[in-house]
Amino acid sequence: MEYIVETRKLTKRFGKEFAVSDLAMKIPKGEIYGFLGPNGAGKTTTIRMLLGLMQPTAGSVRIFGSDLKKDRINILKKVGSLVENPSYYPHLTAAENLEVLRKIYGTEKNRVNEVLEIVRLSDVANKKVKGFSLGMKQRLGIAAALLNRPELLILDEPTNGLDPSGIIEIRNLIKRLPSIYGMTIVISSHLLSEIDQIATTVGIVSKGKMIFQDSIDVMRTFSKQSVVVKVNESEKAWRSLMAKGIQGELHDGKILLVDKTDQEIAAIIRNLVQNGHDIYRVEEDKRSLEDIFLQMTAEEERV
Amino acid sequence: MIGKLIGIELMKIKRKGIWFLTVLGPIGVVALQIVNYSVRKDYLLQQSEDDWLFYLLNTSSITPFAIILGIVILTSFMASIENETNAWKQLVAMPVSKYSIYLSKYTVLLFLLLLSASLLTVFTFIYGLFLDLGEVVPYRELFMYSFYPLFAAFPVLGLQLWVSFVSTNQGIPVSIGVIGVILSYSAYVIPDWLIWKWPSLMNQWDEPLINVWLGLAVGFILYFIGMLDFHRRDVK
Repeated sequence: MEYIVETRKLTKRFGKEFAVSDLAMKIPKGEIYGFLGPNGAGKTTTIRMLLGLMQPTAGSVRIFGSDLKKDRINILKKVGSLVENPSYYPHLTAAENLEVLRKIYGTEKNRVNEVLEIVRLSDVANKKVKGFSLGMKQRLGIAAALLNRPELLILDEPTNGLDPSGIIEIRNLIKRLPSIYGMTIVISSHLLSEIDQIATTVGIVSKGKMIFQDSIDVMRTFSKQSVVVKVNESEKAWRSLMAKGIQGELHDGKILLVDKTDQEIAAIIRNLVQNGHDIYRVEEDKRSLEDIFLQMTAEEERV
Repeated sequence: MIGKLIGIELMKIKRKGIWFLTVLGPIGVVALQIVNYSVRKDYLLQQSEDDWLFYLLNTSSITPFAIILGIVILTSFMASIENETNAWKQLVAMPVSKYSIYLSKYTVLLFLLLLSASLLTVFTFIYGLFLDLGEVVPYRELFMYSFYPLFAAFPVLGLQLWVSFVSTNQGIPVSIGVIGVILSYSAYVIPDWLIWKWPSLMNQWDEPLINVWLGLAVGFILYFIGMLDFHRRDVK
């Protein structure tokens, strides 16, 4: 498989603290890679090392198949990035801010208008960035990241500090990008719900270590579903099920059935009805990805 | 690439008041002489046989102080452009080497300071003519007293640029700058080896050119050390 980003034993130490240790990140071409982890897990440090902002203490980073240390400038020509809060020059206008960066990339002059159009900031192109809202600044940051038509786009917490409508806006924007440009995207976040809907591959870090890395579908299989049945005389009902060898749990007068097939559920319900129990509710209780994420990071913390 | 980066730096200093300060410095130095000569011109003309030279000496007594102050303010402005929203991380993540980023900012500062020194030459000359100090204008000294202090101040420029670019806390470079300004003001009493004395062009051998050559050499060394350190450091 062709990996756009591949790190080997990537390690960063600050004093005695290991912010990132032995991290092996593999990002296949064309994926939207959700880089997840609680605050302080080492996401931003990893991303800074991917961009050459920080030197790894040990290990290597390969992007587009070349070593970042040896070929940094050529790699960065094809990378767009937005690291944490947006950086901008407040005394310059939106267009001037982008023009400064465009000159470095050497892309054609009209590209500034194009990216402003993509993030829908054309109307305020000639206003100073000083007066922009956080959402607008964030969009300007994304516009800057798109200037060089990157093959790899790295967005670190792009929705941090935004209000819900701003979050949705950024999410929709990000969703559109790969289809238009065929780029590979890395998005880091501490909220799974934020990238749940857009990521195709997920990497989860905790305490500087990669604890899960696979497609989001694999992660979804972890979300075991269970069915909750509410009946009258719940204890009696539960005992009758147990007597028939059906595993279930009794919780607050509800019977919890974990990992049963549709046929099994149907048989259980029929059984209860035939035994004269009144069935009030049959509900599916699906563990969300958020729960899995929390459980994974919590398990790691206990170790 | 470096040409492009310098163009970009020039774009970034727009509307920051940097150009204004560059012009204000030499105006300030000459304005003090305007006050001085308006109040007691007759007395001052009695002090020396060579009125032009005496006038230049008067002017140059403030120049080192103004240059050091200018360097401190301009470097800190220059750093604040990137520090304000931590634009360093955006700039360094671009396909340019960190060496050329450092060099481009240094070059722009150097250009502004040279412009300032040229303006000082012109303003000093014009007011000197206005004072009618004599037929023979000492052009060599005029040039010397405007540019030598700047060359001798290169170590201060190297130091201030380095410290302000690598400190996340701008209090550090500003404190060093304030101490430097005070030291340059006390040039008479501080030892020769302190770089803040050099712009005064005073030394025990009474040879201003020593300060100039020392300034250029040490300035280059400090520039180099600063650039290497800037390159080595992680961007926060």
